[in-house]
Amino acid sequence: MEQSSTSALLQGTVLDLASDVVSALRSGDHVRAGSTLTGGGAGEGVARAAVRVLGADTLLPSVLLRVPPEPAQLAVFKDAVAAHPPRDDAAPTVVWSHWAMTRALRRTERALGGPLADEPGTEPDARWLDDASWQFLTHQLAVLAPLALPGEECAVTRVARARPVDVARGFVRAVRRRDWQQAAGAGRWLTLLDGVPDTLGLEAGLDFVRLMGGSDPRVALQLEAARLMPAGVLL
Amino acid sequence: MPSKDKVLEEVTRTENIDIDAVLDPAEPDGVFRDSRECAALALQSGGTNLLLSPPTPRPKKG
Amino acid sequence: MNVRDASAHDVRVREVEAAALDWVWAHRDRFALGDDALAADGQVNRTWKPLGELTQVCASVSRCTPPGDPLHARASELLDFAWQQTHRGELFALMQSLEPFATYPLEVYAAFASAGLRHPGYEASAAVVARTRGWRLTEQYPTRRLGVLEAERRSGIRPHGGVPQALDRTWLGGLPEPWTFERQAGYALTHVVFHLTDWGRTARGVPAELVDYLLHWLPPWLDTCLDARMYDLSCELLAVAASLPRPCGTAVLEDAWRRVAAAQTPSGAIPEEGAAQDAAGPDPGPDPYDFTDCYHSTLMAAFAAALTTAATAPPPDVRHPAPRTGQHAGQGAPG
Repeated sequence: MEQSSTSALLQGTVLDLASDVVSALRSGDHVRAGSTLTGGGAGEGVARAAVRVLGADTLLPSVLLRVPPEPAQLAVFKDAVAAHPPRDDAAPTVVWSHWAMTRALRRTERALGGPLADEPGTEPDARWLDDASWQFLTHQLAVLAPLALPGEECAVTRVARARPVDVARGFVRAVRRRDWQQAAGAGRWLTLLDGVPDTLGLEAGLDFVRLMGGSDPRVALQLEAARLMPAGVLL
Repeated sequence: MPSKDKVLEEVTRTENIDIDAVLDPAEPDGVFRDSRECAALALQSGGTNLLLSPPTPRPKKG
Repeated sequence: MNVRDASAHDVRVREVEAAALDWVWAHRDRFALGDDALAADGQVNRTWKPLGELTQVCASVSRCTPPGDPLHARASELLDFAWQQTHRGELFALMQSLEPFATYPLEVYAAFASAGLRHPGYEASAAVVARTRGWRLTEQYPTRRLGVLEAERRSGIRPHGGVPQALDRTWLGGLPEPWTFERQAGYALTHVVFHLTDWGRTARGVPAELVDYLLHWLPPWLDTCLDARMYDLSCELLAVAASLPRPCGTAVLEDAWRRVAAAQTPSGAIPEEGAAQDAAGPDPGPDPYDFTDCYHSTLMAAFAAALTTAATAPPPDVRHPAPRTGQHAGQGAPG
């Protein structure tokens, strides 16, 4: 019981946080991006955990729109990075999402001209995707959608760039399964990849995913990111 | 200002959360449902009734 | 081109094919034409349709296997059985007099004609009707239209229209967004490919852009149909994959065949969809499904397997028999 009510609280906070990011991406308003974190609604620990779950995308408005984050929001982000390092035996997505956060933090701080956070740890490897089926590849990429950024260069983005048709197949599969979160994440990656078959109809596909699943702010976040991606330049 | 108990409770709760499981989620089962077919209105009637066919004219009063 | 080593995968595909044909042979009486076949209120979908499907599949198996192969012999026996059911074609002539404007008798007949079983009298009378404007304007789904054109060609009748025009009006011909695929679109597209390739005989019949399109999107369609336990449509998609001039990817096919094989009962039957499995319960007997719940999927498994093993087998290359000309111009009716 304890565990499930805590999970529900965390889940709710993640959704609130995702809504904040969606509002910020739509309006360019960085203040709203932080309201869940700075409004004192959630407890500190839960807020930190929620930021860890949403990951680097918590700072997406700053990274994509070049608006500086609220200092309080940045502080929680830093705390989340520090409080939830991956365990030694953590799954690759856990390791990579943490790495993505350290990367986003460093980018943001550099843009602010302040003292730099510690150099991100050594880039993890992407060997777990070496022989991945297109189904597994797409699922993992969708989980790691925060890495889908214009100009991002890392082992995971290199894998994605090498397999545009497979990611497109994964998008079709996700839509067919009505897994809107995976579809939105895969769709965000596809906006960045060359070699996606035209017949996929990505633009209409993203509109369709928004129609069917856009009420979930985590889905909406990926779709907003996808919308901004072609024009986006990394900080 | 949250009470001390509340803070303590929250810290305990947070430690209970398995964040790794959230960050490495399994794929949900697919949901499949296909469009049903509805016989074309007015073209294929189940019996003798033609849907959307004009109503039988009634004699007007007066 | 496209010759790959026979692997463990092909062995399993052949086993699926052999078991499916065993089931068909054991249940052949259910394909027999009864009085219903000619009665004005008879159910065509329970009489002529299964017989036509049996014939088409056996024609393909027979073509894909060498004469000494036991599967070839089995398919030939079933073809003889089916042809006897039509009184060696006489019933087509009779149907022509009963329902002159129906297209299904010609479509069923075309399956026999493709196996070399022909009735010249019927062909001559069908040609008279096929010359009318009314026949040409019969309102049908675009996919079915394509099927009628191909049936005309196979039956020695001058096709009433062009294949490209008919193709353009189909779901597949318009290259739709692949994520809009669902059951009905799936069945439409598989039949478009069957008609374009003369049921797997001529891979060249598929225009290049359709080949690219299908090779891109067959994997997610197969994967999700199998997830949804739509075995019948999955087998049709496997037949499509084996009808293309280039292979679809070994991992995709191996995975799909493994899942189809897992759904096959000891009797060789494959259920159309998962609902039949649920109805059969956790401990089904060796032959648990009603004929109507499994005959089509079992036939389609045999069909897909025959095309797959032929596609992966060493020469003779059954995919490239004698050239046919003018297929896309809608001419080229064989003499």
